[in-house]
Amino acid sequence: MARVAGMTLLFVRLKLSLVRGGLRDDAGKQAGFVFSLAAALLAAVAGFALLSLIRLAPSGVALDLVTVAFAVFAVGWIVVPLTAFGLDETLDPARLAVFPLTTRQLATGMLAASATGAWPVASLAALFGGVVALSHGPGGVLLGVPAVVLQFAFCLTASRLVTTALSGVLRTRRGRDLLAVAAIFVVLLVQLPNLLVNRGLSGDPTRILASAGDVLRWTPPGLAAHAIADGGLIGVAELIVVAMAVVVLAWLWIVALRHALVRPDASTGSGGSVRRSGRVSIGRFLPDGMLGAVVAKELKYAGREPRGRVNWIVALFVTVIVTLSLHGQDGGAGLGSVLGPACLAAVMIGLQAGNSFGIDGGSLWMNAVAFSTPRDVRTDLAGRHLAMAVIGVPLLALVSLFAALVAGDAVWALAAAPIAWGVLGVAMGVGAITSVTAPYTYPARLNAFSGAAPGQGGQAFAASFATMLVTGVLTLPVVLPVLFGLTWWAVLAVPYGVGVAWAGRRIASGIGFARLPELLAAVSRPT
Amino acid sequence: MTDAVRTQGLYKRFGHQTAVGGVDLVVPRGSFTGLVGPNGAGKTTTLSMITGLLRPDGGRIEIDGHDVWADPVSVKARIGVLPEGLRLFERLSGRELLMYGGQLRGIPIDEVGRRADELLRVMDLVEAQDKLVVDYSTGMRKKIGLAAALLHNPGVLFLDEPFEGVDPVSANTLIEVLRRYTASGSTVVFSSHVMDLVERLCDWVSVMNRGLVVAQGPLDDVRRGRTLNEAFLDLVGARGNGEEGLSWLGSPA
Repeated sequence: MARVAGMTLLFVRLKLSLVRGGLRDDAGKQAGFVFSLAAALLAAVAGFALLSLIRLAPSGVALDLVTVAFAVFAVGWIVVPLTAFGLDETLDPARLAVFPLTTRQLATGMLAASATGAWPVASLAALFGGVVALSHGPGGVLLGVPAVVLQFAFCLTASRLVTTALSGVLRTRRGRDLLAVAAIFVVLLVQLPNLLVNRGLSGDPTRILASAGDVLRWTPPGLAAHAIADGGLIGVAELIVVAMAVVVLAWLWIVALRHALVRPDASTGSGGSVRRSGRVSIGRFLPDGMLGAVVAKELKYAGREPRGRVNWIVALFVTVIVTLSLHGQDGGAGLGSVLGPACLAAVMIGLQAGNSFGIDGGSLWMNAVAFSTPRDVRTDLAGRHLAMAVIGVPLLALVSLFAALVAGDAVWALAAAPIAWGVLGVAMGVGAITSVTAPYTYPARLNAFSGAAPGQGGQAFAASFATMLVTGVLTLPVVLPVLFGLTWWAVLAVPYGVGVAWAGRRIASGIGFARLPELLAAVSRPT
Repeated sequence: MTDAVRTQGLYKRFGHQTAVGGVDLVVPRGSFTGLVGPNGAGKTTTLSMITGLLRPDGGRIEIDGHDVWADPVSVKARIGVLPEGLRLFERLSGRELLMYGGQLRGIPIDEVGRRADELLRVMDLVEAQDKLVVDYSTGMRKKIGLAAALLHNPGVLFLDEPFEGVDPVSANTLIEVLRRYTASGSTVVFSSHVMDLVERLCDWVSVMNRGLVVAQGPLDDVRRGRTLNEAFLDLVGARGNGEEGLSWLGSPA
């Protein structure tokens, strides 16, 4: 037992020194860490307060609310580490495979390590709000504390079980590609209830809540919530069931862990199918020379690189959802409800141009050693814009047509499509400049939610935000007259967009060429 | 005759650490040069600055008499580069990578295709030419990287650790290609810490230690009758002789 306890302490210290090591000598990361600590503290206080406030609701509603909240916590614990953070070093059992540890030492140690950190502590604190919300009398409080601890343990073990079971998959390139696409479906699922509510399929929120509460009643989070409310012997019985669920999950996790430790690392064996590029070349239809080469490369990347595909698919999804929910809210609508989604799609597609060189990452050196004048950088940017237009222009036409059909008049597409193309042009022009002034690294391990290397998140956010803001302002001259009824003005949008894109490239090429080494360093940071 | 590469007082620091502290590197034209030094000696930093991929904090770099940072047009057409870590366009096939690189340098597409086919054949990559680079092994990556660096027939070739992690068969192919290339009067500069290889291939050696060039010249002048490995250990001052402490290590008698 003492050995297990000592080993557990060692794991906690390992986790803490990993955090400390990550922060050394980097002011940006330290600022980010402080920010994250503050955010965790805020989340802890706010979560605790919000859950506590549920006490003011009628007791039936309060019970359902806490049940749903506990369930959301559990789902969050399972999903967030998979998508947003990948595997951090303490949590990958393969790194510990060579040490003579019993599975039991490993299990308790890794569990303790994953409970160490600002966010786990914050979520434990927030969960205690449930005790305030539901407990009646000292019996409820007495059961409430173990209930919350068990719920927290349930979150941890469920989260560990899923990451461990998937860690073999996550370490292969193919698995990560797959996860990236799966992440989109998570985004869609999150949007689905919103969509249903907007469409007015089930208008009464209290009914939805009640049915959700009923469904979740017998899950471990639901049982934990009910134990706090019920108190007494029933509460104890419910807690015993939760504890058993935790033990079963822990046992499954130990099995998965044992399995993961002896299974070979799938990423080192080259196994699996090997993709070959088709010999039918896109290049045949493109001009010879640097421009054609860049367009061909970009088009291939859009198809073969999961990060590229994800951006396109997300843009499309969000637009479709926004179109449908706009329609649901006020039935028939004017040109605005066609223009809105079309322009949104254009901006979302155009945002990819806000960090053009990011997708090349470390391989950008190949361009850097070949570019000897600003003219070369300009051709490169033009090629990237052209490739984006090849996919984006027909796609935006489709989106406009779809939005127009949903809104009730296909003719509106004739105004919306040119404006969307114009907005895309403006976004590319603005993006060319942010690409060379605020470039950042896309992480090699894809996650759909934060798109930058450690420490560059703030910069990535600022760059996207600036691109969006400036694009918005620059498109006003073409969008406003159309919204005010001057529909023929839409004709001017395309030349305007082309002009802005040209000007953006012209300005960006000078800056970009002078900053080539810095550009290369910024997009090839370790992730 | 001007030297292929000449640097004066090349200097670079990262934060508090001086990576390269005033390097005067000389590489005669047509030589096969080995840049050797222990880990952290500044070899990669020096090569990155010479090839225009990293901005130096001070000093001058000339390639064939042209200043790298003042006259990039003349320099970039003359050099071929195989950087450290070898990050390539992973989602292109080997052949597509060569085509892209060649067109980027303005070579007509038919000529690029012809050169790419020959390079793929010599590098023994014909079988794998349509595979995506992401699925290549280390040896294949080094070979396709060297092919991309040679495609525009540069006068000076810079290779950072070209033989690291490469199997003997692929290494042999790389060596054969490089020998043919220098035999025609072109220059190769490569960094390595495999002394045997440097001794076998090179006629000119530059030894770096702690951000400085501590010795350079023709191979025989640097080793002065010893093996290159002995000369190297003397020059960098071998640290620790492996005889102190460790009394617990080893099988009991």
